[in-house]
Amino acid sequence: MPRVSLNQSAPNFTLPDFSGKDFSLSDLKGQKIVLLVFNRTFA
Amino acid sequence: MAQLRQDHTKFVSRDVAVVVVGPENAQEFAAYFQKESLPFIGLPDPKSSVLKLYGQEVNLFKLGRMPAQVLIDKEGIARFVHYGHSMSDIPSNEEILALVDEINKQ
Repeated sequence: MPRVSLNQSAPNFTLPDFSGKDFSLSDLKGQKIVLLVFNRTFA
Repeated sequence: MAQLRQDHTKFVSRDVAVVVVGPENAQEFAAYFQKESLPFIGLPDPKSSVLKLYGQEVNLFKLGRMPAQVLIDKEGIARFVHYGHSMSDIPSNEEILALVDEINKQ
C-alpha cells in the first residue's frame, strides 16, 4: 500500500454539503483533524 | 462508509471530522446518508472539482474510479494519503486511528 507523507498544505475548497450549507476545509483549521474520503460510488 | 461509521465515536473522540466527497448529486447523497445513518459531512461533487483540485495541486491521485483518503492535520497539512487499487482497497480504521494518535501526540 502506498503511504505518502506529504507534509504540505492541503488545498482549500468550498462546496455546499448535501443539505446546501457551504463547507470550507479551512473552517476546520485549528479545530479538527480531517479525514477526507474520496468516495467513488455509493453502489 | 459502513466501516468508518462503525468506529465513528473513536474518530470523534480524537477530534477527527470525516468528510466524504463523491460524484453523486445532493439528493443521492441525502438519500444514502439517511438510509445508512451516516454521521459524516457529505459533499456532493458531481463535477469532481475537489478531486481535480487535489489531483492537480497535490499531484497524487491517479484520477479515476478508485477511492482515496487524505488525512489532514489541524494546521491544514496533508499527513497521509492513500489511493486505492480497487473499490475495497481502503485503509483499516485501526491504521487511520494510529496515524491520528501520532498526529495528536505532536
